[in-house]
Amino acid sequence: MSKPPRYFWIPLILSLILAPAGFWYVGWSKSGEGAGLYSRQWLPDAMFAYWSPTDFYQPVKSITGSFEGEQCVACHTAITPGIVKDWQASRHSKADKKVYCSACHGNNHQDLHMPTPEVCATCHATQHKQFSDEKRFGFPSHALAMERALDTKHFVDKPKAEVTACLQCHSVAGKCDSCHTRHRFSAAEARRPEACITCHSGPPHPDDETYFHSKHGQLYLAQGAQWDWSKPLRRGNYPAPTCAYCHMQDGKHQVADKSIWKFGIQQVNPLSSANEIKRKQWIAVCSDCHKPEMAAKHLTALDQERKRAWSKLYQAESLLKGLRSDNLLYPSAKLRPPYPGDAPDKLWPREAIGFFEGQSSAFYNVSPIERDYFDMWYFSNLGAYKGAAHGDDSYVTKGHQAMDLSLESIKKQAATLHQLGKTTPANIWLNGEYTDYNREHN
Amino acid sequence: MRSFLLLLLPALLSLGVHGAGTPPPKTAIGTDQECVQCHPQQFQQWQTSAHAKKQPVAGCLACHGGLHSEAASRSRRDRTCNACHGGPEGAIVHSYASSKHGVLMRLEENTYDWTKPLAMANYRAPGCAYCHLHQGNHDAGAGVRADAMNREQPVPDGMRAVCRDCHAPRYTDRLLDNGNAGLEIGRKKVREAEMLVRQAAPGLDSGYQADVQRQLQTMRRHLQNVRLGAGHQSPDYQWWHGQPALDGDLLRIRGMIDEYRRKHP
Repeated sequence: MSKPPRYFWIPLILSLILAPAGFWYVGWSKSGEGAGLYSRQWLPDAMFAYWSPTDFYQPVKSITGSFEGEQCVACHTAITPGIVKDWQASRHSKADKKVYCSACHGNNHQDLHMPTPEVCATCHATQHKQFSDEKRFGFPSHALAMERALDTKHFVDKPKAEVTACLQCHSVAGKCDSCHTRHRFSAAEARRPEACITCHSGPPHPDDETYFHSKHGQLYLAQGAQWDWSKPLRRGNYPAPTCAYCHMQDGKHQVADKSIWKFGIQQVNPLSSANEIKRKQWIAVCSDCHKPEMAAKHLTALDQERKRAWSKLYQAESLLKGLRSDNLLYPSAKLRPPYPGDAPDKLWPREAIGFFEGQSSAFYNVSPIERDYFDMWYFSNLGAYKGAAHGDDSYVTKGHQAMDLSLESIKKQAATLHQLGKTTPANIWLNGEYTDYNREHN
Repeated sequence: MRSFLLLLLPALLSLGVHGAGTPPPKTAIGTDQECVQCHPQQFQQWQTSAHAKKQPVAGCLACHGGLHSEAASRSRRDRTCNACHGGPEGAIVHSYASSKHGVLMRLEENTYDWTKPLAMANYRAPGCAYCHLHQGNHDAGAGVRADAMNREQPVPDGMRAVCRDCHAPRYTDRLLDNGNAGLEIGRKKVREAEMLVRQAAPGLDSGYQADVQRQLQTMRRHLQNVRLGAGHQSPDYQWWHGQPALDGDLLRIRGMIDEYRRKHP
């Protein structure tokens, strides 16, 4: 038997050292006072206890004793009557074997906990399994939402009271009551489109407006109050589809498995083999009411809209990248405040342009032309996508008009930047009340 | 005999509702003065509110309408407030409507018993009046003050108590403190921009000056969104309509000043 050559041993020994070192490093960086991959770089706000209870919740220590269900109800009827009234109207209080406060929060008042999805899973195992299964499909996903927020550059960088609202929505990964409002936890409520809109609204994801403007949404607005919401989300039960009807058919708590365009945030090949499977699933959903050909046509129209959008976005992106390589972006990354949490950025300042370079975090401390592209990509483009997907043509038109205007303005600004060349006035970018505060607080 | 009873019916009904000794109910009220005679306490509370101090005055009839039998139950509903406070598309109403409170209200308002007082979690979701006129206090700031989060001083205990009808004290305390801290960060951005403008404006030409001022106006509106988002608990208003929008305003103001200086070295 011949001896293995030396170059066999070197990579083997290196990987034996580096692989555990890598695991150790990730574990170490996750073990700080914050949470997530960059937990050592920031301190949590007190409110985070409620948005990410698994990471931050500490029970109130001032009340001692161990209590059973009826005892909890007796005190809290006086202290927080709203919670008790809600629970009394819920199925939890009407079941043969009542599900009391203590079943989800514990008995020892000094050791109470916030019910995580795992707590709900003790009874609702199927729903929890479906919900967790989302992780296989990557972002966007409810189950991965908290990780997504915590590991984002701007979340790590900004003062924590500024970014708390991010966690309020991304808390959906760890709280079933984002959709089934506590303490009634109603399935009927979660079936209605309004259950989604507290988070699914606003410039990057106007799901509320685009759905309510669509024919489906108009029918819902006109008649929805009369529909029987106790019925499962199944063929024949509802005259028009709602968010949950299409995205969570049959009540399946898995919303990520049919996602083709991934929020419209990056260009994808909609006809890849994985996406062909998803297209078939979509056509099956639409076929509850429509002819399959009509559904296929809708998907093709969506593909075409995306193609149009990306041709505009790439024009803007290439203009920006051209300016970057000519060193004409002003102020350049070197001349603006570094992101406090971003070490590579301090060593090698470089402007992030486009999705793959992480521009979704680069909406502050950037030059106006970069921010204009961010608005074009993150607001107008994503709005147009939602309009096309949900059947709201007015939003498609609005989004594309806004993109056209942005592109014009970006072209004009690029021309100005070329004209101005490399003249640099005194730097006014590095200091200011918020800029200084942000440097010290994250 | 039957016709005699029918004639008597209205009189019997009015006795049943109002009892002996009280004046007969008026079905239609014509002026605010008529209300004051029987409801002096509400009138007194109202006098200290912004409704009485701002022009045009929002008097009794503005919210309660002229129909006495529905005067209270009708005015408790959000649509009473919406018409004057910016309408459904405006930031004040929309920031509430997209919050969890607003969503529940939209779904459930027709199932609520609107004759109940605005207290003790009589309503699953709080509407405008539940918080801002808590316990029917007609000083529309005695409950939750609309301007409470505008001020530098801490949120008063009386206001915190409103939230505690449903929420644990530690939860609402942290929420309010966090909202105030977020708002202060927003103010820092606005002050940074104002300082930049103050220092640079004298050197700019009138076109650039107008652009910078316009952007500052937009910025103040975005700060208002942060405030409404924190007060009404709309994450969307605190964040997308608020903080990143302020970031954009700030860097655009800087950009304008920079561009002018580069054009005129």
